[in-house]
Amino acid sequence: MWGNVWAVIRREYLQRVRSKWFIAATVGGPLFMAGLIIVPAYFAVQSEESARDIAIVDGTGVLYERLAPSLEEGGWDVREERWRADVVTELRALANEGELGGFVMLDELTLETGEAIFYTSDRPSTLRQVTMRSGIARSALEYQLEQQGVDAESMLSGGELWIEMLGGEGSDMEDPQFAVAYIGSFFLYMVILLYAVAVMRATLEEKTNRIVEVIISSMKPWHLMLGKIIGVGAVSMTQMTIWLTAGILMFATGLPMLIAARPELANLSELREFLPGLGLLALFVGYFVFGFFMYSGLYAAVGAMCNSDEEAQQAQFPLIMLLVVPIVMVANVIENPMTPLATGLSLFPLFSPILMWARVSGGGVPAWQIGLSFVLMTFGVLAIAWLAGRIYKVGILMAGKRPTLPELWRWVREA
Amino acid sequence: MSDNDFAVRLQGVTKRFGKHTAVDGFDFEVPRGVICGLLGPNGSGKTTSIRMIMGILHPDEGSVSLFGSDPDVTRRTKVGYLPEERGVYKKMKCLELIMFLGEIRGVKRAEGKRRGGVWLERLGLSEWADKKVEDLSKGMQQKIQFIGTVIHEPELLILDEPFSGLDPINQDVLEEIVRDFHSKGTTILFSTHLMDQAERLCERVCLISNAKKVLDADLKDLKAAERKGVVAVEFEGPDAWTHGPEVDHVEEVEGGLHLVLRDGADHQPILERAVSSGARILSFDLVEPRLHEIFVRHAGAGAVGDSGIPVGANLDGSDQSYARTTGGA
Repeated sequence: MWGNVWAVIRREYLQRVRSKWFIAATVGGPLFMAGLIIVPAYFAVQSEESARDIAIVDGTGVLYERLAPSLEEGGWDVREERWRADVVTELRALANEGELGGFVMLDELTLETGEAIFYTSDRPSTLRQVTMRSGIARSALEYQLEQQGVDAESMLSGGELWIEMLGGEGSDMEDPQFAVAYIGSFFLYMVILLYAVAVMRATLEEKTNRIVEVIISSMKPWHLMLGKIIGVGAVSMTQMTIWLTAGILMFATGLPMLIAARPELANLSELREFLPGLGLLALFVGYFVFGFFMYSGLYAAVGAMCNSDEEAQQAQFPLIMLLVVPIVMVANVIENPMTPLATGLSLFPLFSPILMWARVSGGGVPAWQIGLSFVLMTFGVLAIAWLAGRIYKVGILMAGKRPTLPELWRWVREA
Repeated sequence: MSDNDFAVRLQGVTKRFGKHTAVDGFDFEVPRGVICGLLGPNGSGKTTSIRMIMGILHPDEGSVSLFGSDPDVTRRTKVGYLPEERGVYKKMKCLELIMFLGEIRGVKRAEGKRRGGVWLERLGLSEWADKKVEDLSKGMQQKIQFIGTVIHEPELLILDEPFSGLDPINQDVLEEIVRDFHSKGTTILFSTHLMDQAERLCERVCLISNAKKVLDADLKDLKAAERKGVVAVEFEGPDAWTHGPEVDHVEEVEGGLHLVLRDGADHQPILERAVSSGARILSFDLVEPRLHEIFVRHAGAGAVGDSGIPVGANLDGSDQSYARTTGGA
């Protein structure tokens, strides 16, 4: 009996995985993303390679030691030149011979206004200009503040505001967690919709070209539906696995390589904080799987009750609304994850995949609520399987106009 | 005969779509091992009946049995069903599709591949095995679908209008394949509105018109019972012998005469009279009734529509209602 379900799964999976679209989206997606980051960086590094050795002529005698680290972090190799009468002529000659990328002149005026002169034969990129300019100004400011006995470092990094919670729970999300919650929610919404719609289209295709009559003659409709859903689900898992692996590889190896090649991009390493941990990743997959099963069941039923793409477009509207509600609420839930409203909405099985994820990824959600959400989603899957299976069974062989709600209910009762 | 002797049995089956009755009190059997034709004009209820046999539709009244029981999945799997509306996965490769259709009916992939290869070879499609179905012509797609229908070597073939959409050469090929299956003991039920085809292939016919069964009989018996004494003659010389006590009346037809005999009259005395009259007989043929003519006679008598036109009148578009059987004299 399961032999033919397996045949359906296998067909659905292989047809999709072998399709040009799948290969393009799966392989092309991460490559495109990586390309967007790496290619410009590579060319930028190539073009400025020559201009990296610079000399600093410090007429003040106090700025070099402060400025050098920030310039080195920005990608330059710096050395100090003593101030002497013919230093400009000498360094200019070196630069012209290509021995030196350029040199910076610092003097008393720099200490007062942050102005300096950078002699170079290659016009530096805007990024480099900013790095150098802010480095110089900051060094000067630091010096001046220290003269006043001020903790310059703390002041210049924007101070610090410590939050002390006076009882009760609240959002203690940090920026990276915010991003994980947001990006994750939208990603869940996207992939659940994408693959559920794929199930609907596959159902509709079989119905409209009548091959379903042949298939149903040798297997139960319910088994066909299950096979379709599992087949498409397997495709989605394959695609996500590839994407996630590629993403992790990009962070784990690509990013360090990029930073090594271009030290001024060191800030990018902070992106690593955005990487969710293994536990969170497992929850993400869990919410996706349950969400996919619930919505693909509903979408299969919609596909079965319609006779054309246009009809299906209209009929799926209520389902889209079910997915849009949590997306509309997601910002609110992330900001206030512990309110009764957020808790309630996120426990509703059809909203859980998106809203519970949004809360969980921020941390602080009691484990029992996570557990409860999965229990409720299990009931959701079963209820939808029962309901959708019945609609599917009648609808898939039914031609003619789309059923009204009372007719649908009759299908469910009579099937 | 017990229920089990029938591959298919419908008893008092009625199916309505809203106010329209598609099939009305239909009783019909297909004994095991025969080729049976389900004949009738478009919209007479052929496809609806077949879809009820396949469990795609459920009768409002009456019962359907397949191999002596309810048409459940297990029994339906022993059927090779070619629906009227042809459907295939267009993006699949031909052999893959055939293997898939076998697999869902329990044929292992390796075996499906082997059988599929043999069939593709037989139908001249070997070179298309790894092409996508959508790259094939309609006729070729239909042949692929036919292979998918028979890949699991079914006990019963149900073919809904199998010949439509095929060119004459491929119609012959298909006809031969159907005969092959028959000789191996497969029961075959096919619907058609092409009377010629049915006449050549069927052992048993069931004629339906306007949702009702008109008749259902062994084709040989039917023809014997329906044979009206008509003799077609071609001759030179005197024609007085054509009149006599056996002859009801004479019709002139192209090239000769049709002598319509009185009920129960024998044609032998006419032949003797003709020979002795000195006429030179070129041909003397007993005319067999054509299935088409039988159908028009029955459907026309019982099922004349509101327009007054016999429902069977447009069956195959030909006006011929009599044909000669050769070798009469």
